[in-house]
This record gives sequence, C-alpha cells and structure tokens, in this order.
Amino acid sequence: MSSNNTGPQHTTAHHVLSTETFTCIRCGLTVPALAPDGPRRNHCPSCLHSRHVLDHVEGGASTCGSRMSPISIAVLRTGDWMLIHRCVGCDELTSNPVCRDDNQLILMRMAVRPLAEPPFPLEAFGSL
Amino acid sequence: MPRRKPSQQRRPQRHKDVLHGSGRHRGHDFRCVGCRLDVPLDAPGTAHRNHCPTCLTSLHVDHRVPGDRASDCHGRMEALSLAVRPDGEWMIIHQCLSCDELSANRIAGDDNALALIRLALRPLQDGRVAHGALLTAL
Repeated sequence: MSSNNTGPQHTTAHHVLSTETFTCIRCGLTVPALAPDGPRRNHCPSCLHSRHVLDHVEGGASTCGSRMSPISIAVLRTGDWMLIHRCVGCDELTSNPVCRDDNQLILMRMAVRPLAEPPFPLEAFGSL
Repeated sequence: MPRRKPSQQRRPQRHKDVLHGSGRHRGHDFRCVGCRLDVPLDAPGTAHRNHCPTCLTSLHVDHRVPGDRASDCHGRMEALSLAVRPDGEWMIIHQCLSCDELSANRIAGDDNALALIRLALRPLQDGRVAHGALLTAL
C-alpha cells in the first residue's frame, strides 16, 4: 500500500535479504519495505502515514496515489491493534496491522484521542 | 449538552436524495439487523443515520458514496472503532462482516453512550501496548 514498486516477485520468502526501501510521502523518511518481524510494511513507522496504491473496494491497483493519514485504532479479537487509514484524496478507508517498531506515542495518542473530547459528560459513568 | 465550539462554522451536511422518502414500506424507519429495534430516521444531530442507536450495528447498502445504495453485499456491519475528526466529532468506523469493507459515520445524539465508551476504551483494555509506550520507551 505504500511502496511504489509492489510486485509479485517481492512477496517471496523472507530468507532472501531484502534491501528494498520506500520514502514516506509525508515525512520523507527512507523506510525498509520489510518490517523486522517479517511482513511487508505499508506505512511509515515514524509518522504512520501511508499511500493509496491499492484499491480495496474494487481490488487491484488504485489510481489515487494520495497520502493516507491514520485516523483510528481498531482492536481484533486476538488483542492485536489495527491501524485505520483514511485517504486524503478520495476518503477511502483501509485497515493495516501495526508493526512492532511503529511510533508508540502516536499510537497511544490516537487510542486515547476520543476520551479527550467526549461528546457527552463522562461524569455520569461514575455512578454506574 | 450544547455543542462545545459554536463559533466554528461547520460544513453543511450533504443533501440526501435517496431512499425512504417515497412512502413505500418502511418509509420512515428501519429495523436494526442486530437487535431488531425499529429505528426512526429522524436523529438528533445528524441527517444521515445509518446505524442502530442501541447496538450501533449498520447494514452494508452503500458502495463508495454515502447514500448511493449501490452495494450488492447487504451484510451486517459492526462497529469496529472510533475515530475523531479534527473538530472533535466522533465517527464510528464500521466493518462489514461478510466483505470486510470499512465505512465511517458520525455518531448521532441518541446513540448509546455506554456502547460508545466501550468502543472508545477497547484499545486500552490490553495493557501491553500502553506499557510498552509509556513505561519502557521513556
């Protein structure tokens, strides 16, 4: 979802030393395409932004290519966190697993963000 | 509770020209697929109610544009997480249980507050990430 030259030949076994990198579309960081724990990355570990190169509704490649900003944290039944991205250009939503070396402070900030601005007073929950 | 930032001009909601208005069967309400509650379409705070105010379940009927009724899936969509807009509005992220598609919708004024808070606190249930971020990384 983030690197420009995604091809089937790159999804081979991980024992091949991969030096492939991509540049983050937002912060410009050069990121290795493979995460340390194995799978391919699709977002920058520093600012967690991604790029819209896969079309998740129709399938296949997307013509959008815009930046995708992280908006929310979803939790699977297994307890693993997923990162919800929203495309800045076409408003499409995707979910991606969180890598081990992702910026933990940005993740935590997103996780507690709803509680910073509740739409109703939270005091009522104290009496439940 | 009054809106917290009344001074900011909000974008007007998109005009809705689909469904329900033609006076057919279920012209002014829908039945929730999760809890079978009859839900009226008039919701406080939003003109685009698409989920049940009690159990927050929705139905996958729209394709790309909200309200286009172009999806063939019609699967059940469950609330997956909460996102917050820059202006502080909460959005529910729904995920379709049959095709995994995601969609976002603003909360309505009568949505179940307890269900919303449970959704908001879901990332913090498991302390591993919080422990790793706030205790060992600093």
